Amino acid sequence: MAEDINMPQMGYDMTEGTVVRWMKSEGESVSTGEIIAEIETDKAIVEFEAPTTGTLLKITAKEGTTVPVGNPIGLIGDSGEKIPSSTMNEDSNDNTSPNITKPSPPNVTKTPPPLSKSTSTKKQSIKISPIARQIAEENSIDITQLIGTGPGNRINKKDVLDAIDDTSETTINETSLPNTKTEDLPAEINASPEPQQLDKMRQQIARVTTKSKQEIPHFYVSTEINMSNTLELRKQLNEALSSDNTRVSINDILIKASVMALKAFPKLNASFINETIQQHSQINIGIAIGNTNGLIMPAILDCQNKSLEEIAIATKDLIARSKNGSLRSEEYSGGTFSISNLGTFDVDNFIAIIQPPQSAVLAVGKIIKKPVIKDDQIKIAPILTATISADHRIADGVDGAQLLTEIKRLLESPLLMLLNE
Amino acid sequence: MPKMTLREAISFGLTEALDNDSDVFLMGEDVGKFEGSYAVTKGFLDKYGKDRVRDTPISESAIVGSGIGAALIGLKPIIEIMTINFALLAIDQIVNHAAKLSYMSDGQLQVPIVIRTVTGGGAQLGATHSQNFENWFASVPGLTVVTPSDPYDALGLLRTSINSPNPVIFTEHATLYRTQGDVPKKPYSIPFGKAKIKKSGTDITLIAYSKSVHTALEAADLLALKGISTEVIDLRTLNPLDTETIVNSIKKTNRAIVIEETWKTGGFNGELIARIQENVFDSLDGPVGRINSDDVPSPYSGNLESSILPSANKIVDLAHDLYGI
Repeated sequence: MAEDINMPQMGYDMTEGTVVRWMKSEGESVSTGEIIAEIETDKAIVEFEAPTTGTLLKITAKEGTTVPVGNPIGLIGDSGEKIPSSTMNEDSNDNTSPNITKPSPPNVTKTPPPLSKSTSTKKQSIKISPIARQIAEENSIDITQLIGTGPGNRINKKDVLDAIDDTSETTINETSLPNTKTEDLPAEINASPEPQQLDKMRQQIARVTTKSKQEIPHFYVSTEINMSNTLELRKQLNEALSSDNTRVSINDILIKASVMALKAFPKLNASFINETIQQHSQINIGIAIGNTNGLIMPAILDCQNKSLEEIAIATKDLIARSKNGSLRSEEYSGGTFSISNLGTFDVDNFIAIIQPPQSAVLAVGKIIKKPVIKDDQIKIAPILTATISADHRIADGVDGAQLLTEIKRLLESPLLMLLNE
Repeated sequence: MPKMTLREAISFGLTEALDNDSDVFLMGEDVGKFEGSYAVTKGFLDKYGKDRVRDTPISESAIVGSGIGAALIGLKPIIEIMTINFALLAIDQIVNHAAKLSYMSDGQLQVPIVIRTVTGGGAQLGATHSQNFENWFASVPGLTVVTPSDPYDALGLLRTSINSPNPVIFTEHATLYRTQGDVPKKPYSIPFGKAKIKKSGTDITLIAYSKSVHTALEAADLLALKGISTEVIDLRTLNPLDTETIVNSIKKTNRAIVIEETWKTGGFNGELIARIQENVFDSLDGPVGRINSDDVPSPYSGNLESSILPSANKIVDLAHDLYGI
């Protein structure tokens, strides 16, 4: 039987994706795992593999079309198989279809509002789960007005519950909140140039950072770290290492120190989900990679088992793949702790926003020579200022302090990182 | 509470029955001198002697047939069929005789036989030694089919099986013998037809038995990472089947996936899904999913075999495909 291929969920908080390119055309045979299309998510272009073997019967989302997650983009079945009529219907919405090039008949607007009791034919054409239908009936929700977000556009329980929530929210808005429609804004604001549309990555960053700052009670701990010994260690290592691929960066050492500190103080290697704390056994370190379009935070997976050399190799590989868009979806969504490094800029110190569902992020600035007091003498030392942002629902100031001072201890005496390996 | 492996729990249950009831005896291939092909009857021959721990020729039909005869005259035979794959040779004795005699004699005859057998794949034993047929036996009226997933249930259900006046197919999954669990010293037994909620949750119900319960629990852990609260039901016996526990759970979660290791076509999952839609159709928020082994003879290669078996990842993916969670 023909099977819909649906827009995949390729990362945390991805809600829609754009079909950039079809590698196969209608009528071609495909096999499970074969790359059939390229999908642009909020953050990158990802190759999309055929979920099943058969013939690509139909492409329902043409190149350039944006489709919500879980909605069909095409259909795979047996060669010559009849395409189900529901798919054919979608085809009639296609811009190229002749019967829609006609202008919409003006009487559409005159159609009377739907009767409270839907006609039986209407009812049959709506895809809705049994429990969703029942709840809708109990709450007098007009299911013809709902948009299904379930697989295959099915209206599910959540859609109905959301609609019930919306109904009550709308009532509040109308009665108690001041009207803030665009038309009412002062003329000089209205007169400003065309507002700039957000691209996908900007939209995603806006959504995730807003959600994080609204939901996560951030707290911050900062310290200054004397990096003399780490810089010396790195110098010695890189002199001894022949291959460029294994050369170790300060960031690699920061990752290693963070991993070891998280092993000692694992409380912040966790997620706050549904009023519970989910501790992670893996330590996946997300690293902030910026480019002209914005920022992504892919993760180096399974750092708990990686040596410094392996981390260095994995980081280089991750950055290279982030540039050519071939990151895997678990690398986008799998981070358990992140590091944001603005050390290449002249930034002493900054604080970062936690990337949910993670619970902490380490922000470091540039290593700057500063006067330090050692044995009551003023000396010059390379200083890194590090700040951990942490989720107060999961941990307290003491936990943040313990984690940060352990990172500091490891970076100031980096030979400690050779222990316990 | 002492910890035991599933092997030790069954071994303990057999010892207890042999000690307490002189009508109980064991019979099967290699149960005596070889001490059981899965070492369940280690030391039994020395302790109880060859009248009560009987090695048999390699003839499953004869083993079960003579067991039925012994049961008819009032003994309580505990038969071991080395693996459920070999039970095919005894299926006429099991289905046409053990399961029928009480009915056809209007209860004048009873067949209190326990047929212990090893089921399941995952141990790289090839196409003919890695199968699951508990669903076949569960479809036969008159047979009780027991499918424990842990030592506690195995011992509690073995006690009930030995005391049952009717034939019981007692399945032990080949890869669960080393599974550890708490087993209280105080005697207890577990009634047939009572499922157990291994983990309670609110968003989706996973229904499984035997080895697949562990797969379901693993999936529940993965789903928790996505913020999904999973209820895991261990059926414990397929016949009789506890429909009520399943129904109550789905009324709460509105979503369900059934998991078992038999082939998909004709599997017990089909029966479970039929009962779910008969009873709680109006509570469902989408189609009920099923995870089975692929419809192929089990490959010998370890990689290929594990790819056809149910897995936690397959469950998580299916939950996403069916319910968008």
